[in-house]
Amino acid sequence: MAEGFQTGGLRLSLARARNRWLRFRLRGRELDPRARANLGALDNLRLDEPARSHRFVVVDLETTGLDPNKDRVVSVGAFRVVGGRVRLGEVFSELCNPGRDIPVESIKVHAIVPDMIHQARPAWEVFLDFLGFLGRDILVAHFAPFDVYFMNRVMKGQFGFPLQNLVLDTVELCRTLLLKPDPYGVYLDFKKCGLDALAELFEVEVPERHTALGDALATALIFQRFMQKLESQGRGSLREMIMLGGMVA
Amino acid sequence: MGEFPLPRIKDFIRRVTPFDTLGEEELGAVVAHMEIAYFPRGEVIIRAGGPPATDLAIIQSGSVKVTLPEMEGGEILVDIRGEGETFGAVSLLQGSQALFEVTAREDVIAFLLPAAKFRELVDRHPAFKRHFSFSLARNLQAVQRNPATWFATGHQGDALGLDAQLARSQVGELMTTHVLTCNPDTPVREAARQMTRRRVGSVVVCGSEGHPLGILTDTDLRARVLAGGADPEAPVGEVMSRPVRSIHPKAFAFEAMLEMIRHRVHHLVVSEGGRLLGVISDHDLRVVTGAAPVGVVRDLDKIHSPDELELVHQRLDPVLEMLLRLGGSAQYMLDLATEFNDRLTAKILELTELEMESQGLGRAPATYAWLALGSAGRREQALRTCQMNGLVHDELPPQRREAGGKWFLTLGSRVVERLASAGFPLCPEGQVASQPAWCQDRLAWVRTLEDLIAERGVCVMPQAGPLFDFRAVGGSDGFAAYLRQRVTKALEENRRFLARLARLLPYSRAPLGFLRDYVVDKSGEYQARLDLKQSGLTPLVHGVRVLALEQGLAATSTLERLEALARRGVISETFASDLREAFSFITLLRIARHLEARAAGLEPDAQVVPASLSPVQRKMLKDSFAVINELQDLLARRHQDQRVA
Repeated sequence: MAEGFQTGGLRLSLARARNRWLRFRLRGRELDPRARANLGALDNLRLDEPARSHRFVVVDLETTGLDPNKDRVVSVGAFRVVGGRVRLGEVFSELCNPGRDIPVESIKVHAIVPDMIHQARPAWEVFLDFLGFLGRDILVAHFAPFDVYFMNRVMKGQFGFPLQNLVLDTVELCRTLLLKPDPYGVYLDFKKCGLDALAELFEVEVPERHTALGDALATALIFQRFMQKLESQGRGSLREMIMLGGMVA
Repeated sequence: MGEFPLPRIKDFIRRVTPFDTLGEEELGAVVAHMEIAYFPRGEVIIRAGGPPATDLAIIQSGSVKVTLPEMEGGEILVDIRGEGETFGAVSLLQGSQALFEVTAREDVIAFLLPAAKFRELVDRHPAFKRHFSFSLARNLQAVQRNPATWFATGHQGDALGLDAQLARSQVGELMTTHVLTCNPDTPVREAARQMTRRRVGSVVVCGSEGHPLGILTDTDLRARVLAGGADPEAPVGEVMSRPVRSIHPKAFAFEAMLEMIRHRVHHLVVSEGGRLLGVISDHDLRVVTGAAPVGVVRDLDKIHSPDELELVHQRLDPVLEMLLRLGGSAQYMLDLATEFNDRLTAKILELTELEMESQGLGRAPATYAWLALGSAGRREQALRTCQMNGLVHDELPPQRREAGGKWFLTLGSRVVERLASAGFPLCPEGQVASQPAWCQDRLAWVRTLEDLIAERGVCVMPQAGPLFDFRAVGGSDGFAAYLRQRVTKALEENRRFLARLARLLPYSRAPLGFLRDYVVDKSGEYQARLDLKQSGLTPLVHGVRVLALEQGLAATSTLERLEALARRGVISETFASDLREAFSFITLLRIARHLEARAAGLEPDAQVVPASLSPVQRKMLKDSFAVINELQDLLARRHQDQRVA
């Protein structure tokens, strides 16, 4: 496990080094308060404390499609997890106006019709609010690179730097905790790590699947299981969790 | 954030009592204060003696058990809570250390409402106050698990169809306390004079220290003095009936009845610690029951021709039914029914033998025993369920083998037929003594059973279990003991068979979820039904049977087997008593359902609609299923271990 400890720590160290370099570059510059706050996102993490003692925000984005270069966000849903519990009162849920028509295929999936989003605010405004909701908490998402890509597009466009928060990926946690070791990715049985497959495995009932908020809740409940699983193996520290589920950028 | 964004969660909470009393807006606000927690199976969520709960938990999925730890390390199961039920309220409201321990029985997802918010609801809403103070009382009450209170909580016309007043009548309330006594030297004439003057039907004959020696009744006077020609001046001691049957004043009327039937007496002396308190007679019981059961059993003994059997069956059934209606413990109900059925079977055997002789077929060519199998063999056939029986006889010399075998087969067929007309139906899979395979000599029986155990046989496995519950009803006793001994030996040589038998249950797990659904769905029309036999009794009886066979126990009844298993330390005393309660409860419920259906002119079955049960009964049923699940787990573990070993 010695190597693992290093890896968990190393990932955070790298992120912190980049963060310091960013702060150095931006020193003295006038920044949006939300951008300024985001720069401190890594300050309060304690690697050897239980992961459970940290605050997490579990997010899910619904988009017009699966191509991050072409497609746009139509809704953002997120729950906060504190002390290992999902807070039903600290919820972020908002539709975004993607500024263009929603493809029929995606309407079929998330049931958001054009009328609903005409009154909605543009995605970047919604996203800046979400940034306020996120604060310095650890971001958790199912297949996080996808969500982070969309967020970073706004971050870079607005502030000129990417999201600073630590990001955990539940797909990655699934791969390292549930699937057999597969360093070369030859088995590719990622289907077992799909949201539906995991919800079924853990017998998590997803109240409203394919809404941003419903999927965020499902992800939060699955994340809860992973946290418990690690604790039961005596690997409940944040360091272990980063090692196993930190986003591979 | 205005409207709570996940309507399904709100809908779920809305259906939970007493949250169903909250207005839409307040409900939304309450839900927004909640958190979702996950507790893995086996986690102790609230520790007894530990700090009070910090939240009220509402179970979304899974179940928890609420227990009360005992000094010796055991625990008393107080409750099982499932979907839509809550826990944590007691210690939270009392603010003292937790009295009960709450453990996740399965993986649990729960909505937690923080203490402060919960207290606020209790303070402001009478419905919350009522509900949660009641749940505290209920918990404490459940601890004092007194079987006598199970049904008392039901309202009038209770689903069990038992008149609580009758069920709870005790001997002490019904007995005659003005007892006439005399000493054994009193002349019979003097005793008779006293009885007439005091207008009683009996005189208790006591020794010099006042302890009852015997009893002189009207019947004795008639039969022994008037008809029997005994001297009226003879001392009572020579004419009285003895030994005197006595009963405790706290015994139920029902038990008194059973004692009378068993010993064929009309009077019982009521005594406590050797002290005479009163006398209870057939007549006193008639006041409660409206019929005299002893008389009916006597009628059975008086029959001399098979044609009369039908009539007795018609008279017997209503009496048996009435007695079952009276209630009492499951043990007594089963004993009573077994007593009736055994006598009926013995009578049929006797008459059929006589009939065959009179038809020139001759007498039995060898000694034999009638074997009751299945529920009859376990002394648990309270209802007229399928026949299962066999006949075992001594080996015959080769020259008489064919004719002798034919004689026994004729006897078997006729008896089976008569039992069928007495109300015990023939079922497609049932083994009965009219089939050559189950009407054999001793060696053939041993061969059949050994083949079955060594899995050489043709016998279909699912029916194998009840075969092992054999017990001799009529005829010679030695056969059953001999067969038992051979079975035990064969089982010792083939451990694999028991492991297979253990896994044989035509059933997966007791349906806790069924009741759980009901809880969530109480507003809607819920039509699903629960089979008490298939889901409750069969797995319980089978599990206990496997353990008993493994131990080579001679007892066949489930309750006796449990007692023996606990004595041998195979299962803990607590677990045995939990199983005993589960068995008794489901048995009583099943009998009640059966009688109810009959009274309504419906075809009786073992099914219940959970919605029709009282909350107490539902809780009991839930507990019973939980215990049965535990038994299954135990069996699974045991036989896994054995495979490894």
